[in-house]
Amino acid sequence: MSFQRIRPRQRSASLVFAFLLVISPIFSTISRASGFNDPPTAAPTVDETNPAAVLSQIMRLERIEVEGGAELITVFARLDGLESTNNDKWVPLVSILRDTLGDNTVENNRLRYVWPLTYTRPSLKQKIAAAIPFFYARVGNKDRTTRTPPPALDLASPEREVWNKIFWAALQNILLDPYGTPIKASTSSYRRNTSDYRKSHIIRALSVLALYQEVEGQSAFSRDEMATIQARLMLTDKAFGGLVDDSNLQSYYAKRTAATRDARGHNWELLRQRAETESLYFEPLVMPDGSATHAFLWVAKRDLLKQQGARFSGRFLNIANPWTDKRLLKWDGYVETRYFDADNQPVASDAPGAEAVEMIPLGLYGLDNPKIPMLLVDFRDNYNPKKREMSRRVINDVTRNVLSVSKFGNMPYFLGKTVFDFVTGRRGMDISQPSRLATYSQLKLLLALNKAMEPALRSEVSGRLESISVNPFENGINAEANIALEQYAALVAFAKDPKGLAAKIEQDRRAEMLPLQHGSKAQIAFRVLNVLTFGKYVHREEREGDMEHRLDIARRLEYHTRFLEQIAKSSAEVDITWNLDDVKRSLQFIADHGEQADGAAAAVTAKIFARTKDNETRRTCLDGLARIRSSKARNELLRISKNIDVDQTLRDLASEYLRGVRRDQPIAVTTLGGGTPIAVGQP
Amino acid sequence: MPDSARGDAETRGLGDAGTRRPDDAVMFTVSPCHRVPASLVLALVLLLVSYTSAVAQPQRLVVIKCDGLPYDMVDKLARQHDSQSGKSVLPWIDHIFYQRGARLSNFYVRGMSLSAPSWSLLETGQHLQIKGNVEFDRYTLRSYDYLNFFPLYLGGIVGARVDMPAVEILDSLGLPLLVDAYAHDERYMTMSLFLRGPRYATLQSGLQNKFLRPPKELFDEWTMGFELRNALTDQLLRETLQKLANPKLRYVDLFIPDFDHIAHHNNDKESQIFVLRQMDSVIGQVWTAIQKSPQANETALVLVSDHGFNTDDKIYSQGYNIVKLLGSSAGGGHHVITKRRLMLDYSIKGVNPLVPLITTTTPDSYYLKGESTVYPTAMLDFDGNERASLHLRDSDLNLLHILLQQLQRNELRPEVRKAAIGGFFSVIDRRRAEWKQKLTELRNELGALNVAIEEQGKLWELQPKKFTKEQQNAGLDDAAKRIWVQYDRWRIEQREYTAYVQALSNLLSLSSEAFTPSKVRIRDVIPKESMGDRNSIDKLQNYVYGLAPNGLVLNGDGSLDLARSFLRLDYIAMLHGVTVRNNVQRGITNRPVDLIATRLTRDLVLPLINEGDIDEDVIWVSAGADRQALLLSRRGADGQLSLRYLPVSNLRHDADGKLQFKLIDWQAGLPLQMFEDPNLAVPGNNRVAWLSQWHTDTEWLQALHRTHYSNGFVGLHEELARHHNERLSPDDPGLSDREKLMRHYARRKRELVEPDLLIVANDHWNFDVRGFNPGGNHGSFFRISTHSVFMIAGGANTKIPQALTIEEPYDSLSLMPTLLALTGELRDDNTPAPRLLNKGFRRFPGRVVKELLPNGLNNKHTTTNGVNAAP
Repeated sequence: MSFQRIRPRQRSASLVFAFLLVISPIFSTISRASGFNDPPTAAPTVDETNPAAVLSQIMRLERIEVEGGAELITVFARLDGLESTNNDKWVPLVSILRDTLGDNTVENNRLRYVWPLTYTRPSLKQKIAAAIPFFYARVGNKDRTTRTPPPALDLASPEREVWNKIFWAALQNILLDPYGTPIKASTSSYRRNTSDYRKSHIIRALSVLALYQEVEGQSAFSRDEMATIQARLMLTDKAFGGLVDDSNLQSYYAKRTAATRDARGHNWELLRQRAETESLYFEPLVMPDGSATHAFLWVAKRDLLKQQGARFSGRFLNIANPWTDKRLLKWDGYVETRYFDADNQPVASDAPGAEAVEMIPLGLYGLDNPKIPMLLVDFRDNYNPKKREMSRRVINDVTRNVLSVSKFGNMPYFLGKTVFDFVTGRRGMDISQPSRLATYSQLKLLLALNKAMEPALRSEVSGRLESISVNPFENGINAEANIALEQYAALVAFAKDPKGLAAKIEQDRRAEMLPLQHGSKAQIAFRVLNVLTFGKYVHREEREGDMEHRLDIARRLEYHTRFLEQIAKSSAEVDITWNLDDVKRSLQFIADHGEQADGAAAAVTAKIFARTKDNETRRTCLDGLARIRSSKARNELLRISKNIDVDQTLRDLASEYLRGVRRDQPIAVTTLGGGTPIAVGQP
Repeated sequence: MPDSARGDAETRGLGDAGTRRPDDAVMFTVSPCHRVPASLVLALVLLLVSYTSAVAQPQRLVVIKCDGLPYDMVDKLARQHDSQSGKSVLPWIDHIFYQRGARLSNFYVRGMSLSAPSWSLLETGQHLQIKGNVEFDRYTLRSYDYLNFFPLYLGGIVGARVDMPAVEILDSLGLPLLVDAYAHDERYMTMSLFLRGPRYATLQSGLQNKFLRPPKELFDEWTMGFELRNALTDQLLRETLQKLANPKLRYVDLFIPDFDHIAHHNNDKESQIFVLRQMDSVIGQVWTAIQKSPQANETALVLVSDHGFNTDDKIYSQGYNIVKLLGSSAGGGHHVITKRRLMLDYSIKGVNPLVPLITTTTPDSYYLKGESTVYPTAMLDFDGNERASLHLRDSDLNLLHILLQQLQRNELRPEVRKAAIGGFFSVIDRRRAEWKQKLTELRNELGALNVAIEEQGKLWELQPKKFTKEQQNAGLDDAAKRIWVQYDRWRIEQREYTAYVQALSNLLSLSSEAFTPSKVRIRDVIPKESMGDRNSIDKLQNYVYGLAPNGLVLNGDGSLDLARSFLRLDYIAMLHGVTVRNNVQRGITNRPVDLIATRLTRDLVLPLINEGDIDEDVIWVSAGADRQALLLSRRGADGQLSLRYLPVSNLRHDADGKLQFKLIDWQAGLPLQMFEDPNLAVPGNNRVAWLSQWHTDTEWLQALHRTHYSNGFVGLHEELARHHNERLSPDDPGLSDREKLMRHYARRKRELVEPDLLIVANDHWNFDVRGFNPGGNHGSFFRISTHSVFMIAGGANTKIPQALTIEEPYDSLSLMPTLLALTGELRDDNTPAPRLLNKGFRRFPGRVVKELLPNGLNNKHTTTNGVNAAP
């Protein structure tokens, strides 16, 4: 496509774009009008230096049993920063469904749906706005909802999300794009907004779960479960994240968490040093767990006079020079009085020699972004952070939807974009940078949870914050709290309805039976059908009487296999690093259910054999390999029998198993967590 | 002796030793005069005992070197049980070193808690010669960047480099590394700051192995984000595990940088524990590979770290930008040279791995605007972060420079011009004798260098240019390249020093009679890109950094008023006075600078103290004008180092260059805060009496090691004093004139890297301006930064104690002699075995950790390996 041909389109698009740019702030102003000003409710006194104690005062958990053997676990938080809500400001934020198969053992549990309760289906007005190309503003809140909330993720089948994405991307490129710019721009805008809206709530859910993790006392989720949930949620921002193997989740979670904390620390220090250099004041804002996720920059009124006309470098700060800004000299916005000693250190108002200093907020920054702190609020220029956030969207939308230029199809554009992205990214220029979605979403949570901030300042911040949103699907902070309450009520009703969540769980279990009933080819065929029908068709097996029992065995086998894989992966010698009783218990379970175990179980059993010196454990491994009905197991036995490094007795035993002469070995009774014997002896 | 020749000798020697050792023992224990049956029985018993003793030593050393692994954290986690696994959080460290080995619970860095210096002590067992991660030559601005691998790898391609810079320096000083105790084909070392020979094959295999994996694994990693950093460390581990199966190797080391890396960035415990667990797993893999090898029973595994880490999960480490301070008008308006790029990760140029000297130009320069690349006036090494080394240009050069600039102005009034010329030459005359002597010495040294270059060139020509595989395995190719590297380096040095000599000669050749300032090119007489000589305390307290606002001022007699004509700064007071407004964390002072220290000479101090016999070097350390100390040292007849701490205040220079200070009483707030520290452990109840006396370095360590600053007193002396080295001693008997000159030259080069000031940060402050290290830092003398790891475990035949915790404090100087003692290569008097003496190893000043020796203290057999006679 030549530039000559697209020029008229470009012109008209530019006009539309320019118009939208002009009107975007108006929408921001409209949305700002729905701010809140209530002072925070007084909370019981706790040890403020102990984040776990603080969190236990503002976070709690609620469990609801679901018929058919599941539980709905919901994290509540007391949002002191909100204007008004029912329920003493306790707002449900995230619900997670755990399918327990009706017992108390953790081995057969399956985590399923995650509902960020502030995440809702958009209103018609929001949908229309989201489909308007170059429309980067909110259009108000969704009023009321009585429907059950949409889950953000099914933890048991995250791959479904990937296939859906691929399907929609293909549909967009093959079917919709050829219809011309309006359809193309409109649909891709809609898809982008949908995706960003979901991401934003997943980030919020992650923040809530991270906070809940720090609460004192016993958690509803094990350490592994928590890491799994959070890793899966984190992986939703990767195109193929749903396909990542479960065995990687723990380390991915650890690395991502470390990277986020790394970025936070760097940005904290970068902003502090920049504030120091420019004679401003830095003030971190902390989440209830003590982590500083955002920070204010202030200027002292007394310095405005002293430093008039002074040099100012806006690099990384991205705000205008306060020393040449006449508006600050007659500032009528928010002002706070602080007290400082002669050394310029903050002190209490009654401290000897304390000097009262009026402070003006200049900016509010998010610290969790990679590379640089992200300006979220510019107290002198509301439009400043928004235009920085929009720069990336505008560049992408114009090139892709108007000019139809793609990085992969146009070499000059590819080179130009690569250089531009490298330079802006490397130098930390806030143009076309990664979205501030994460830190924006976190700030909303922080404002809701934070009771230390002056109400007037909180109101000012939350009002300005709404204007930064470029997504029509977003709702205001107060509206979100109401939505969460309403959606939770709907979800609870759904959970209590035998035809509601219980029925859905049964459907899911029937779908989970697929690999137990069919071979890999059939499974692929059913998956293709699922994708081709936009996910409407899901193959489910007929319900049979022993379905729960079969699922129980399958899930436990998967649990023990994964547990052993984790052990084998982490250590050169399991005797040193793990409690062998736990290892043997898992091996024994696999051995006891060798008929149902697969190649993966055989492989991991062989790995454990190679990584232990304990004779009993090794014999259990051999026994397990003998019982697993898989060529892999037989091959492993063969390999062991021929391995001269292995003790001769064990090699002989492996050979005997291969010849089938050791099938009379009595096997100990294995029990379920509940105490019910599930397998006795061996035929 | 060239390495190759040494290598052969070593191979033969070690090979022989391996089989000859029992026979040696026979020679030693069975005397010809005891040939009666009873005696024969006794002799046989003795033979058996001595044989057992001889073989009851590690025959192979495997050393895991960890960057910045802090003892306290490791100890805490090793004792802590993991709820999931039911074992220790660090199960392998617990299994190997806590249950089956020995650990030193009080092992400290001697000197600064800084990687390059600290590893140099650990690797050589000799006193500190490398004083920073980066060093600058004052005359030429040449930098020694001890941490940067890229020049080695890129230079290695064209044969211009063979070793890491720190190794080059230690080689030039005749200080062999632990690895040099082993023949080329008996050792395997992974990447470290003291790497000999670039490892291209490792890089290549690392990348290959990164991508040659099952597709699903590769896909998953691509989805989650590739981590190329791991490619190298994973490969190093792979190679180490492979090498452990090779029975020929007697020394294997593995460097793990991971903890240092994460702890600089992250202060949260989860991230740090995650990395520690990965490291624990690596240690487990190494141990498992050792156990599978045929030499398992004879192998000792050592875990050692170069420093601790000052990290706290509730506090971010705060940075203070000294570069910016020096560039500001209040800081003197310096153009500042650094070796690390400021805000490296935010700079396009930062992608260049061959870091040139970085000049931070200031717009606030008082007299050198636009001349930052030619006339930088400060150099800062902030590497290490909790400390920085500052070089300022010779204050007199600044003064002369300013005067020349003024004299070249046409509008200067005649009387002022005359006074300025007078002032100009009065300064030159004041320095003339000193400069002249230095020029003469340097010219002579450069003459000797010229001859050395010629000879080195010829030697290089004689070297074969192609090597067989066997020769390469023996290290002969590297040995030949080292000849070229030396030749090349000397030529560069010759050129650079000659330029300095030329400019200073030009300056001295100016005469007041025939002086026409307009005809003088400043660049011809004021050395370009040079700091000149080190500043005295007087200069540092009256540092000239610009022309006074009123210009040149005359005295009543028409002469130039040198005091009022120039802007002057007291850098020590200024640095102590630095405060910040953005100090938002509880419990942290708003003053980034804790201590400032520098080296003085005995002559200045002696007239003012009641001491006669002290060493040449005196260390002055300041925590403020009224809280200072002099650290004195002296040697006993046996060479034992003793130290004394003398509290003083208000140390200043007189106008005539004499020192002045006031002796003060012991009190709280003195540098290193020994007096008030509750953990100070001195015999008896009288702290003041004990602290006021001379004590050996060991006694100071024992008394101080648990205090907040731990062995900072000993450390300051180690860092700032000059330590004897054979290659730097021109007065040794038997040297030819040229050898003497070359030793003078070598000594000069080491002395030229000495900074004017060492600046140490307050707790939770750092001076890193390359980026941000909020997670934590090291580099200071705080116990948390110097408390490091030394653990050891071995196979059955090594007789290394099991489950032993050694509480006695030791420092870095102890590692090398201890390992040599364990392997039977050290005599009781800390002298290495003759085989090692031939390789250049010398008597070790550090104490052997005797608790580790199989038969307790002073057992000759275990420490001498049959070698009794002094060489």
